[in-house]
Amino acid sequence: MTYFFLSLLIIVCGGTISLVLIKHFKLMRAVSVILTAAGCALGLVDACGRIFNATAASTSFNFVNTLTLAFKLDSLSAFFLIAIFAVSLLAVIYSYHYMDNAKKTVRTAGCFLFTSLLIAAMALVVTADNIISFIASWEIMSLSSFFLVVYNYENDENRKAGYLYAVYSQVGAMFILGAFGVMYAHSGSLGFDAAAGLTESAKILVFILAFVGFGSKAGVFPLHAWLPHAHPAAPSHISAIMSGVMIKTGIYGIVRMYDILVWPAPLFGQIVLIAGIVSGVLGVVYALGQHDLKRLLAYHSVENIGIILIGIGLGMIGVAARQPVMAVLGFAGGLLHVLNHSIFKSLLFMGAGMVLHQTGTRAIDTLGGLIKRMKITGTTFLIGSLAISGLPPFNGFVSEFLIYMGGFKGIALNDFDFALSMMGIVSLAIIGGLALACFTKVVGVVFQGEPRTPAAQNVAEKGPAMLVPMVALAAVCLVIGVFPTLFATMAIKAVAAIELGYGRIPLEPFVQWMANITRAAVIVFAVFIIIFALRTLLYRKKSITRSSTWGCGFTRPTVKMQYTGSSYAASILEFFKPVAPVSEAHPAVKGRFPAKTHYHSHVHDIAEVNMGRLVVRPVLFLFDQLRWLQHGDIHLYIGYILLAIVALLFFV
Amino acid sequence: MRPIIFLLLAMLLAPLYSALILKVKAFFGGKKGPPLLINYYTLIKLIRKGSVYSTSTTVIFKMGPMVSLCAAVTVLMFLPIAGQPPLFSFHGDVIFLLYLLGLGRFFTIAAAMDTASPFEGMGAAREAYFPIICEATLFMMLVLFYILTGELKLAAYFSEGQPLSLWQTAGAPLLFVVFALFIVLLTENSRVPVDDPATHLELTMIHEVMVLDHSGPDFALIELGSFFKLFFYATLVTHLLCPFGFGAPAANTILFFVILALVYVAVGVTESIMARYRMDKVPQFVLTSFALVFFATVITLEFLK
Repeated sequence: MTYFFLSLLIIVCGGTISLVLIKHFKLMRAVSVILTAAGCALGLVDACGRIFNATAASTSFNFVNTLTLAFKLDSLSAFFLIAIFAVSLLAVIYSYHYMDNAKKTVRTAGCFLFTSLLIAAMALVVTADNIISFIASWEIMSLSSFFLVVYNYENDENRKAGYLYAVYSQVGAMFILGAFGVMYAHSGSLGFDAAAGLTESAKILVFILAFVGFGSKAGVFPLHAWLPHAHPAAPSHISAIMSGVMIKTGIYGIVRMYDILVWPAPLFGQIVLIAGIVSGVLGVVYALGQHDLKRLLAYHSVENIGIILIGIGLGMIGVAARQPVMAVLGFAGGLLHVLNHSIFKSLLFMGAGMVLHQTGTRAIDTLGGLIKRMKITGTTFLIGSLAISGLPPFNGFVSEFLIYMGGFKGIALNDFDFALSMMGIVSLAIIGGLALACFTKVVGVVFQGEPRTPAAQNVAEKGPAMLVPMVALAAVCLVIGVFPTLFATMAIKAVAAIELGYGRIPLEPFVQWMANITRAAVIVFAVFIIIFALRTLLYRKKSITRSSTWGCGFTRPTVKMQYTGSSYAASILEFFKPVAPVSEAHPAVKGRFPAKTHYHSHVHDIAEVNMGRLVVRPVLFLFDQLRWLQHGDIHLYIGYILLAIVALLFFV
Repeated sequence: MRPIIFLLLAMLLAPLYSALILKVKAFFGGKKGPPLLINYYTLIKLIRKGSVYSTSTTVIFKMGPMVSLCAAVTVLMFLPIAGQPPLFSFHGDVIFLLYLLGLGRFFTIAAAMDTASPFEGMGAAREAYFPIICEATLFMMLVLFYILTGELKLAAYFSEGQPLSLWQTAGAPLLFVVFALFIVLLTENSRVPVDDPATHLELTMIHEVMVLDHSGPDFALIELGSFFKLFFYATLVTHLLCPFGFGAPAANTILFFVILALVYVAVGVTESIMARYRMDKVPQFVLTSFALVFFATVITLEFLK
């Protein structure tokens, strides 16, 4: 694991050096970006080599002579490391031109430092092999990302977002600690291996506690409320890292928990699958109702976490039902979707970042026509949109295809598992349709048509450091979509590291299915080329004229008449009214010549609304009742401490 | 060789069959109606023309017709016709095909949004909405077919060993599927009562309003794509109605094209005797198809397994 730690060292060096070079803004950015990117590249190469290695590498350090920090790098860790290092590498390169505000030198240096710490901490989380090292790296990850969320702390909204994120991540960590506490209480060991020896009831408790904790990090409904606030607040390359890979550490935690408990209870799969279905459908419904580009993308992370959980849940059900093919398909589909989502979501956030950077606004309905002036951003964003909608021949389709196949294997099961598999399949279909609706809205309103406000006029894209990562990610979307074999193999190798008791997983059938996708994609391309040639032929020597859009007889069209994103989504949202209530505010139109008016609509997230009502208020009420404990008398406080120590002496 | 012949035959006849709907509607209206070859004349006329492009549009506008036609042609390549095995087929191809049609839809919508026209945006929003429910129905249908055959490819449903049809043990629940698929056909192909292809008011259209700004050969590609798409769905219904396992390929082929004509006539009759639903009633109509297939699945599980 030498190379792994060396890469982390380089990454953190890259972050710290920015503090030294704070006087030279440009040099600081260059050195910091190059070092961090180099570290990520080294880690990426190392992880790629590791994934095909059946034996896990492990190492441990003695920390202040009392605690052992153990790390293990197996193919599951390597799979997540590939996603983490690849996305971080490109996001850091992107940040060179994105963080170009010379007035905020100190803050930019801090951003580079915390970014490097975040990358290193994520890498450590997915390699940690005992409770101490896991919790330590988990907390470094949460804290460093908190400081990145409050980067623009002058803004009141961003401070609130940071606060919300801090509460969610600490409450989540509390649940994870609770799970680890139960593990430690039963096994008396800090290592993950000991968890296999727990009693069954303890295992259920551990899994549920861990699922809540990791679920809040991953953004599982209803624990996702921090996500749509924190992602838009952070700088865009940080949103790309957080949404692309950081929330996936939650998925890693769930899979790793399942792995170390070594008990294929059907209950686990059922919990995960139901959570996946709910997050998937509701995530995309809320996304559809958003007016803020980055908030919309954040809700899509909830949706995609749902898809991943549907895959993993089907896999767990497959293990419980002794259906090896279903199990491998479910897990491999879910894990491949982790990689795919990290690619297209970071691409989309980078595109949104470019739009924000150049226009200064995230409001979808004020933009328009950007693809004409931002060709590369627009085209790559379009590719990302196709990929996230799960359309062939892009990468989102491949992982959804695997999950579908796993789901159809579940159709052969009995009763409850059958019903769940069926629900999984149908909800995947609905999610796909809704995602298509949502991204046609984004592409159509933001990048196509005519600029709706002056902010969207006369903009241009800039900064090769911002464009190159987007082009690279878009290319990867297409490559995985057309040639998925290698990547599916990597996902299956990662599944092999999970304790499913299958020994060696035969690759042949999966490779066969992936080859079919390649073949189908080639057919599509061939047909397209023929049609393209035909069209070129038909247009030879034809008169082509340009004119304004047909206004159906209306002679004075204005850009204001264009369909807005809000109206585009309105009828679909109407269908989902019970789970996504919309409140509207607009003054009534009066008189024959009505004055200028306004319209505002807001989709309420039922999780957010009810979290306040059902959880926060009772908790506040409870603590209000305990106010008398906190009276400000320092003597009694010292008395509390003494009492606590005496009590601990008795019990420990 | 034979699959290629059938594919070409399908592509050649698709416009003719669509004209059948017009004929039926004309008959109900007490008119003579256009000639049966009207669609070919229209295509030739369009191909001869040049195009006018809106200044608002980009290259996506030109991609739209090509991608939607590409999706429709590829789907036909995987479609068994008259009980004959298709040109291509693989395990899971149905999922691929449904998503490929989604790709075509994405580009049709994107091309409409490219024009900055409020009407086309309106049509696009509807085009994005109703097929979501159709997709749920179609995947529910796949679940039922998987229960009946254990397969995930079109060829296995309609051209191998035991083809699915009304005339087998599971025929009763499949009757619901036929109705559901017919509803999906009407929705996906923008027919009455979901959409009225002959209406004159842009505000009330779905598909027709989205292609308002396309002209010339581009519009010909769109028309061709929609003929193929209708042919695809109509063929699925036809196969469910009759298994075409008579041994003699010639008899199969003739019977297939006769029943296919009846399906098109049924579309025409539906268009003639029904009015278009109000936009907010359409989702309920489409949801009926999901309910039907769901019911069929429950029946199959309870009584036939």
